[in-house]
Amino acid sequence: MPMDDFRQTLRKLAAAVLFLTLAPVLRADSDEWRFLPSLQAALETSADQGNPDPEQANPSPPPETPPPAPSQPSLQDLGFTPEQQIGSVERQALLDKRTRMLKIHQRLGLITIIPFVATLATAGGAKEHEGGSSQRNLHAALGLVTAAMYIATASYAIRAPKIEGMRTRGQIRWHKALAWVHGVGMVLTPILGAMARNQLDNGEKVHGIAKAHSTVAAITVAAYAAAIATVAIKF
Amino acid sequence: MIRLRCLLLLLAVPAIARANGQWVLERSTLAYHVSHPLHDTDGVSHAARGKAVCRSGECEVLVAAPVKSFDSGDSNRDLHMVQVVDGARYPLVSVRLRAPEAKDSAEIHCDLQIEFAGKTATYPQVPFTVTDEGGERRISGTIPAKLSDFGIPPPSLLAVPVKNDMPIRVDTVWRPA
Repeated sequence: MPMDDFRQTLRKLAAAVLFLTLAPVLRADSDEWRFLPSLQAALETSADQGNPDPEQANPSPPPETPPPAPSQPSLQDLGFTPEQQIGSVERQALLDKRTRMLKIHQRLGLITIIPFVATLATAGGAKEHEGGSSQRNLHAALGLVTAAMYIATASYAIRAPKIEGMRTRGQIRWHKALAWVHGVGMVLTPILGAMARNQLDNGEKVHGIAKAHSTVAAITVAAYAAAIATVAIKF
Repeated sequence: MIRLRCLLLLLAVPAIARANGQWVLERSTLAYHVSHPLHDTDGVSHAARGKAVCRSGECEVLVAAPVKSFDSGDSNRDLHMVQVVDGARYPLVSVRLRAPEAKDSAEIHCDLQIEFAGKTATYPQVPFTVTDEGGERRISGTIPAKLSDFGIPPPSLLAVPVKNDMPIRVDTVWRPA
């Protein structure tokens, strides 16, 4: 029967196509085909000769590896340039020098309080109605020591290195402003004191601008004390 | 079927992004506190920059600020602070920490490493509060730092040194990168 022959041929062809199509898949996933020694040998040869599928060559699941540690952010990630990260030894040396000088300024300023107070304490004995020459000499000498100490103290603050781009803020502004008050007072007070002394030594009453000696001295002391307070006490 | 897979994949993307995300420091306040018998001082900086890289529920965080950005309200004191901490040689202070990625408001404990004044100090299990603020995270806490941790000689005023304790208050707001 030609029709039956045709159907039979078609079935064989379909089976052959199906076999050829599925053969690689079945070879990979099933051991059923391995009962055929020749096919088994052919498969092993194929595996030994190379280029096998990696999953085939190592069928056991890969060992579980820990997740990689999160990458650490860096300063560059934050936008800091290398210049911003690298310090300056010269600038540090400048700051060190500034601090050293201002510490001496602070120390001398505190020591200066001693002759300052002593000068004030002897002021009563130097007055025109009460004081004698020796008491006036003592007062004048203490005044000179105070002035010398004051100049030394101020010189360290004036000569301390200035830092570029630093705007003065806070209570230090009052400290600097008051320096103008007690600075002028420290110049005027000894001059006025010398004028007063001269007038007394000439047998005159203290008159004119010399009469302002004690007032200027009092303002100077007040400004000096306030200047210390501005850096010592937070307002 | 393919459409369903694509839809599932799209739905999964935000979750993956959140789990392995990055955060950027939006705004911050870092404040150190030093105490002297005559007065207390707080130096505040808003100039910190920070980044957090999170993966598998754990974040690597780096926050850094220029030392000179701390403002105590007095320029002379700030310059002295920069000098005493070698701030010109080591211009940045940086904080590194590894923290769990908190999903909601919570208290977390972190191991911190602070690099400051050319030295590194470690602070274990520092408590921080995490608050969710509408997509942003606020993390705040106080680091119990001491001057001696960084070999900083205590500055003195009128021959009296400041206390060794220098707690650093941290208030940071982060947004997803």
